[in-house]
Amino acid sequence: MNTALIGELVKLRYKLLWAKTRSRNGRIALFLAGYLLLALLITLLSTGGFGAGLLAVRSGKAEKIAQGVLAVLFLEAVIAANVLGFGMSAVFSETELRRYPLTAPDRRIARHLTGILDPFWFLFFALELGLMVGLYVLGAGSFWFGLFAVLLLFAASYLLARVVGLFIDQMIKRKGGAAVLMGLIVTLALLPSVVAPLIGKNPAMVAEVARRLQYTPPFGAAAAMIHPGLAGTYGLATIVIWILGLTALLVWLENRPPQRQAAESVKVEWDSPFDRAGALFGPQLGPLVSHWLSFYSRNSRTRTFCLLSPALLAFVTWQFGHMWKTPHSFFIGALGTFPMVAFLGPSRMSTNLFGYVGGAFRRYFLLPVDPGTVLRAASYSALLIGAAGLPVGLLVWLIFSPYPFDARMPAMLLSTGLTGMFVLHGFGVWVTLFNPRRGDYNSNFGNDLSLGGNILLIGGMILAMFLPRVAYRFMPALFALNTWWIWLPLPVVALAFYLATLKSAGPVFVSRREKLLAIVEGRN
Amino acid sequence: MDAIRITNLVKKYGQKLAVENLSLTVPTGIMFGFLGPNGSGKSTTIGCMTGLLDPTSGQIELLGQPFTTDNAAIKRRIGVMPETLGLFEPLYAHEFLAFVARMFGLDEPTTRRRVTELLEALELTDTSKTLSEYSTGMRKRVAFAAAVIHSPDVLFLDEPFESIDPAGVSLMKQWLRRFTEQGRTVFITSHVLETVERVCQQVAIITQPGKLVWQGDITALSGDGAVVCDGQEFRALEPLFLHLTGERYADLKWL
Repeated sequence: MNTALIGELVKLRYKLLWAKTRSRNGRIALFLAGYLLLALLITLLSTGGFGAGLLAVRSGKAEKIAQGVLAVLFLEAVIAANVLGFGMSAVFSETELRRYPLTAPDRRIARHLTGILDPFWFLFFALELGLMVGLYVLGAGSFWFGLFAVLLLFAASYLLARVVGLFIDQMIKRKGGAAVLMGLIVTLALLPSVVAPLIGKNPAMVAEVARRLQYTPPFGAAAAMIHPGLAGTYGLATIVIWILGLTALLVWLENRPPQRQAAESVKVEWDSPFDRAGALFGPQLGPLVSHWLSFYSRNSRTRTFCLLSPALLAFVTWQFGHMWKTPHSFFIGALGTFPMVAFLGPSRMSTNLFGYVGGAFRRYFLLPVDPGTVLRAASYSALLIGAAGLPVGLLVWLIFSPYPFDARMPAMLLSTGLTGMFVLHGFGVWVTLFNPRRGDYNSNFGNDLSLGGNILLIGGMILAMFLPRVAYRFMPALFALNTWWIWLPLPVVALAFYLATLKSAGPVFVSRREKLLAIVEGRN
Repeated sequence: MDAIRITNLVKKYGQKLAVENLSLTVPTGIMFGFLGPNGSGKSTTIGCMTGLLDPTSGQIELLGQPFTTDNAAIKRRIGVMPETLGLFEPLYAHEFLAFVARMFGLDEPTTRRRVTELLEALELTDTSKTLSEYSTGMRKRVAFAAAVIHSPDVLFLDEPFESIDPAGVSLMKQWLRRFTEQGRTVFITSHVLETVERVCQQVAIITQPGKLVWQGDITALSGDGAVVCDGQEFRALEPLFLHLTGERYADLKWL
């Protein structure tokens, strides 16, 4: 094994991380990540892992709490690694590593070592270690068994994350794979709310499920931490078996040739639906709108998000409607989620309009149009894609609404939907201009929004979930159906904000174009 | 009327000087080579001339009119092939070219006809691939097609011949010659000095930071003639270029 070269590659991984701090944004990120992460790490270690250990021992349910904590950490690590894209740098992909004098097994080791040595994984390692130390200090566990369990669990969670990541990647490349994946995600999201009532009705199921979970890595690790004897050895053996199985699965997935969708000869189409949609915006904006629609409609993540968002918002509405126990709680919940209907799907596009065009960004300034027109067209396209969600949302409401039909309800929902659409897309324009980020058009998973984009999206979701409830508490009359007309001016005000945004953002776009160019082309 | 007239152009990135007081005149109807070592400011100068970058100071005139970023009327009369190509990767070649043609105001029948003709002439008829799946040479051809589709009066080509096969280069040169014969102007940057020597009538050579060190007629080089600079005779562009920009010599014994 070429340990020296592999060591150099690991060093390169950290040099590249450090290199990001050379930019202004990188320094801000370093400050936040460095100081906050350190503070978080200390806090989490002491109050999280260690605290959980203390609680586990004092409550007399050491193993159960350890099982719960480790299971949550295990799943969190797998989900977060895939959603946030940690430890999966393209710089260390198989293709890139082939340029170095490394054998195939060396390349595999280098790839996974650079992946697992990501700071993100250390956070989970620290939490698990904290729990182990907590248990050991209070005399409820063995140090060496616990340490081995933590190390093995760490490896198992990394392997599972990679297996899941590769599976998703390969699924998306297959025809119809994105839709299957979306179905899986929705099923997983809805599963807890379906299973919870079942468990309530059938308590014996809990014991059966717990018995089966003994054969999972987090439960194996919990057993090893608490029982240093035979039970602990069985626990460690369980994780080792998982590691072997996951390694074999990973090697199999990695060795599978990439399944490309069969290249089909595309008929040259001069008048696509996008061209027809673009034509509605006139001769100057039309080609731009049509171009943006083509560009983003081919993006599998945008497509998946657009398909997924109605289901997700319906689920949120349903969940909160159940929880609130107020009259018309579903309707009040829907008034909150409807503003997100036209934004959630194209949010990645709306908050980073130029972030995915790469070097092609400069072409917009070579066109014989005012650059503000390009910005407007981009925003209109995001708006148009989002607006398509509103009739779908209304239809879903009309079909599944638990209340007798009342035309005032859809009118109020449409008002909030349009208001959210104009306001959020308006803010999206400002985020595009002041906090853009270079994105990867082809990446299907991972959060690649900028800080501003995340604030807008997550803030929007939080507001969607809680604002109606807060507003209802203080002004219940506002939600009464006989005052439905109060909601009607909102979209008009929001539209005015959106149009004013577009008007004032044009000159800002021109003045900031060199900065945007540097960011979008990756020279920041 | 000159096709391009630059007067005292200065471009700074923060405190860093990229182009220093550059003045340049390019007559109409010629092929003009704009040469310089890496990082000398060629692409920055083109960026300023095509509306991509704001000059820090100085004036640019294109086709006899002052040029600013938002001068759409002049932009309609120029074609640009950026060094980075500027292609929208997920689109198909015909979609991309049709988009550019429509943006430059071509009517629909002309757009369709020109896109089809260009794709056939440049052997880009494989409709199963998006631009991201094209080879570097094919991508360059698409960018070239996008620069000429609206028959501009001035064509800016940043490194046009690199990565293109000899047959493609020959075709492009043939088109460019016809282009200039019709009284239009081509402004080329390239590191392939032999090609520049053969196709260009005039060249300007700049050094870092965007400082003009020589401009002159090189038509003599394509025959048996010579160009005189600093009292020396140069029979090819390469020695002239190295004389002006500084020849580098490093003897690596191990190499």
